[in-house]
Amino acid sequence: MIGAILRAQWRSMRWGRGSGLAVVAAIAWYGIWTAMAIGAGFFCASAALADIRSALPLGILAVCAYWQLVPILSATMGSSLDMRKLLVYPVPHGRLFLVEVLLRITTALEMLLVVVASGIGLLSNASIGGLSEAPRLLAAGALFIAFNLLLSSGLRSVLERLLSKRRVREVLALVVALLWVLPRFLMALEYKPKGLMRFGGALQAVGLPWTAMADILAPSGSHPEVWAWISIFGWACLALWFGRSQFERNLRYDAIAAQSTPIAAARPRTSIIERFYALPSILWRDPLAAIVEKELRSMARTPRFRMVFIMGFTFGLVVWFPMIARGHGRATHSPYFLVIVCVYALSMLGQVSFFNSFGFDRSAAGFYFAAPQPISKTLLGKNIAAMIYIFLEVFILCGVTAALQLTDGWTDILRTLLALAVCSLYLVGIGNVSSVRFPRALTPERVAQGGSSRSLNGLMFLLYPLSLAPVALAYLAEFALDSEIAFAVVMLIAAAVGAIVYRQCMQSAVATASTDREAILQELSRGDGPVVSG
Amino acid sequence: MNGSPAIRVRGLRKEYGGKPAVDGVDLEVPRGSFFGFLGPNGAGKTTTIRMLTGLIPTTSGTIEILGYRLPDQELEIKRRVGLVPDESLLFDRLAGAEFLEFVGRMYGLDRGTAIERARDLLQVFELPLERKMIGEYSKGMRKRVAMAASLIHHPELFLMDEPFEGVDAVGARMMKDILIDQVKHGATIFLTSHVLEVVERLCDHVAIIDKGKIVASARLEELRAAGESLEDAFVRVVGAERQPERLEWL
Repeated sequence: MIGAILRAQWRSMRWGRGSGLAVVAAIAWYGIWTAMAIGAGFFCASAALADIRSALPLGILAVCAYWQLVPILSATMGSSLDMRKLLVYPVPHGRLFLVEVLLRITTALEMLLVVVASGIGLLSNASIGGLSEAPRLLAAGALFIAFNLLLSSGLRSVLERLLSKRRVREVLALVVALLWVLPRFLMALEYKPKGLMRFGGALQAVGLPWTAMADILAPSGSHPEVWAWISIFGWACLALWFGRSQFERNLRYDAIAAQSTPIAAARPRTSIIERFYALPSILWRDPLAAIVEKELRSMARTPRFRMVFIMGFTFGLVVWFPMIARGHGRATHSPYFLVIVCVYALSMLGQVSFFNSFGFDRSAAGFYFAAPQPISKTLLGKNIAAMIYIFLEVFILCGVTAALQLTDGWTDILRTLLALAVCSLYLVGIGNVSSVRFPRALTPERVAQGGSSRSLNGLMFLLYPLSLAPVALAYLAEFALDSEIAFAVVMLIAAAVGAIVYRQCMQSAVATASTDREAILQELSRGDGPVVSG
Repeated sequence: MNGSPAIRVRGLRKEYGGKPAVDGVDLEVPRGSFFGFLGPNGAGKTTTIRMLTGLIPTTSGTIEILGYRLPDQELEIKRRVGLVPDESLLFDRLAGAEFLEFVGRMYGLDRGTAIERARDLLQVFELPLERKMIGEYSKGMRKRVAMAASLIHHPELFLMDEPFEGVDAVGARMMKDILIDQVKHGATIFLTSHVLEVVERLCDHVAIIDKGKIVASARLEELRAAGESLEDAFVRVVGAERQPERLEWL
């Protein structure tokens, strides 16, 4: 059965154009992680036993945290089985669960590299015991990996259910953001709650998965090793129960019903939200206004977009602030805080808007090719709608940072808006090209699905730094020459070049849309295999 | 332009990987006709209709619609055509009224007129007036809204791929009445359907495509031999009168 699923998936995988870019990006990404894994391996191989004993619990905790949290933070929870396609077959749920658990490897393959390299390092460290310890280390490693896979599977199931519920997903995104960031925010403020030390101590308590693993890998002799084995085995069993029970609950869960719109009368045209949607009609003429309005409505109702919109500013604020705060004792901030947060929000929203403009339309994108309007109007309309939401988010960010006194006043805000507008020219221009060259059908309801194709991710990996470079140069010029005029001049040049880039990209996208429309529509109509990619 | 047929196709060909899906089709659809385009599964009906709508390019051949040439005068053609495709080109995250208004505006109606016509069409097609998203519509309702959308700009020609598929009897009757009324008022309808009874009752002209080639094209009464039903004629023309093979294990 597993073989049949994997074979069907292999057959339905997309090896279209641009796959090379995806391969390049994958090589670069996993190359970095391989280097880190080798570093960890060398440390484990050469460090003194005392150093290993002190570093191991923290390292294992970091692996656990990455494995469980990063898929949530990046809002792409990896591949999973598409149960709608598989439940009709007489396959025992246990087997489906096994495949689902194995698929969790896709969410944190890099951690597997780190774990394996560290394990090899430990085996070659004479102070740990050398190759004679291999069975013990292998067994512990297998238990640790199983624990993470099962826990990840359970968490994914819970999140899938929660995120499919209207409103709940937005609240949940906020809560997760706050949970993730609050400790670091407090640290940046150098605020030390009384219970902090106790919490830190609790993380090192005997019997937790990471401390138990550390006790097995590098026994300190302070506790009998058998307790560590019982502990890690117990955690793995607990994770198995959690993962399996949540998987079963997901099988019985009707996501479509949870997401259905409550029956409500059509809103009066005078309501605030309807006036917001009608705003494009004041600014532009049809069909551009109609396209922008349609996009504004559709995006606001797309769970995936709403989720990323909320993450854009919550994560942006709370993740970046502790990283770039430079204060000692009080919340002084970096002068680049606002612009970094806004560019982060731009790139987050880009994934679910302009980088893959037709993704949520799926096969309905054909309408734009059948309608009596040039495709350039459609792309422009989609760009404008995306920018309206991006700038809405930026205004929220500016408001929040201003309220928290994290900005240097109006000049900071205006400079940020200018920088963002210039960045947008480059990114949206590239987005137009990628939307027609690497289109990918997205399921609006799947909040955990990534926004763009693997090929596009590869392209962005290469082009993203380039597209932000002109704006970065403006800040660099200001820093190096200590001159606001230098900033303005470089920014002006960047804007002019950006306008040319946008125009060229639009022309290229229109030409591609014209010649490749069949391939684009085919790609957007394509369904997934039994495994839905994240 | 008015003297030209609604659709004139010469040597139309579409290849996929060197294999023809549509193989040298010649077709002429008179203005004001109710034209049925029939064929077995995979014969090339949908590919043909997608080429006529400009959704996919041709490999070779010429297409002239309402006197305009495709693809040179693509926008002129699109303004005059109402389309009901096989997989509805519907935006799931819009309510029915919002979608119809959007389509109207895309076809050049002003906002006020589009809103007004959308409201009328919702009532005629018995579609929900409340804020229910199209993504939550049943298959039949999706077909209804697609047909309503094809009517909003009052086109001269309708291109319809299986317009009655998934629609209940009441809805199908209502849709047929609307289409007959459109033909009476001078519109041309070009539709594909697997339901031969529907074609028999509605269409005055029929073409049959098989393996990418037109194997028959005539007025309905000319196509049927004496006393023959359209189904009999269809089976005779496409040569599908064979016994199904028996599977030993079944």
